[in-house]
Amino acid sequence: MISLTEELVLLAIEDDGKIAYTAGSPGFAMALIGACLVELNVLGRIDSDLEAVSVLSTEPTGVEVLDYVLQQLGAGPKRPARTWARELQPICNKLVKLCLSSLLQRGVLQQTEARFLWALRSRRYPMIDGKEQKEAKLRILSMLLSTELPTPHDTVLIGLAVAGGLLESFLTRAQIAQLADRISVVGGLDLIVRGVEAAIRDDAELRARVMMMSVH
Amino acid sequence: MNTTIETLDAATIVKATGRLDFEASASFQKELEQAIAGAAARKAAVAINCEGIEYVSSAGLRVFLVAARAAKSAAIGFGVCSLTAGVKEVFDISGFGRIIDVFPDQAAALAKFSTPT
Repeated sequence: MISLTEELVLLAIEDDGKIAYTAGSPGFAMALIGACLVELNVLGRIDSDLEAVSVLSTEPTGVEVLDYVLQQLGAGPKRPARTWARELQPICNKLVKLCLSSLLQRGVLQQTEARFLWALRSRRYPMIDGKEQKEAKLRILSMLLSTELPTPHDTVLIGLAVAGGLLESFLTRAQIAQLADRISVVGGLDLIVRGVEAAIRDDAELRARVMMMSVH
Repeated sequence: MNTTIETLDAATIVKATGRLDFEASASFQKELEQAIAGAAARKAAVAINCEGIEYVSSAGLRVFLVAARAAKSAAIGFGVCSLTAGVKEVFDISGFGRIIDVFPDQAAALAKFSTPT
C-alpha cells in the first residue's frame, strides 16, 4: 500500500529516474508536510481547523515519516497547518529520504548511481514497474477529466500535487490551463490543503518582500 | 454530537448538534450513510440541517464530501442548510459551496427538493 506522502514523492520522479526540478521548490516541501498532516489526521493523531493543529495522540503510527512529523508537532506550540507547513520546511529533505528509503526497501524503486564529468555524482530512482506512479497519475487525470466528486484522498492528492508543482511532470501548461477550473474545485476540498496553499502564498510574499527590500 | 433524523416526503432531514471533530466524524458519517441509503430507497433527497453544528474540523469536513459522493452515486439530491458562522467560514474557504447545494434555511432546502427536476 502506497501512502499519500509516498505518492507525492513518486510523482516527483521522472520517467528516467531523475528527480523533477519542482521537487526542490518550497511548494513541494510544504505539500509534503501537508500530506503528512493529512495522514496523521486520518489516523487520528491530530485534528485541524482554521486556528490550529491539535495533537490528539502522540502514540507512534509505525510509519517512520509520519512519526517524525508527529514528534515535531508534539514538541511545538499550537499553530495552524498554514504555519506548520512553513515552519517544518527544513525537515523536507529528511522526509523525502525516509520515503525513498521505504520505497526502495519495498521494491517500488531501485537506486542507481552514475558519475559524470569525472567527479559529479548523479543518483537516480528508476521505478521497478512504475505501477504505483501510474496509478496516482491516472487517478488524478481521470478525476480531472470527469464530473465525479473526488474521494477525500483524491482531493488531497490533487490539491497537494498542484501546490507542489507536480502536475507539470505529466501535463502540459496548456492542459493545466484548460483544466484550471476543475483543478480549483476538486483540489481544494480539504482544510489542510487550503492551509498549505496559504503557506505557499505567505512564503512567496515573504521572499518577494526580502528581494524588494534588498534593492537600494 | 447528537443527530436526529426526520423523514419528510421530499427529503430526509439530518439535524446535527455539537462539535463535528475527529472524534465525532466516524459515527456521524455512519448515520449519514444510513440516512442516504434510506432516502435513496424512496427516491428522496437528504439535507443536513447544520444550525446546531458549532464547529467543523478538517476530519469533520471530509464527512460532508463522503456523504455528497454517496448521494451522488445514489442519484438523489443532497444539500446543507442553516450554516452557523463558523461552519460557513469553513465551507467558504474549502469551496464546498461549489460542489454541494448550500441553503440559507431548511424551508429553502425543502422547497428545492420538492420541486420536480
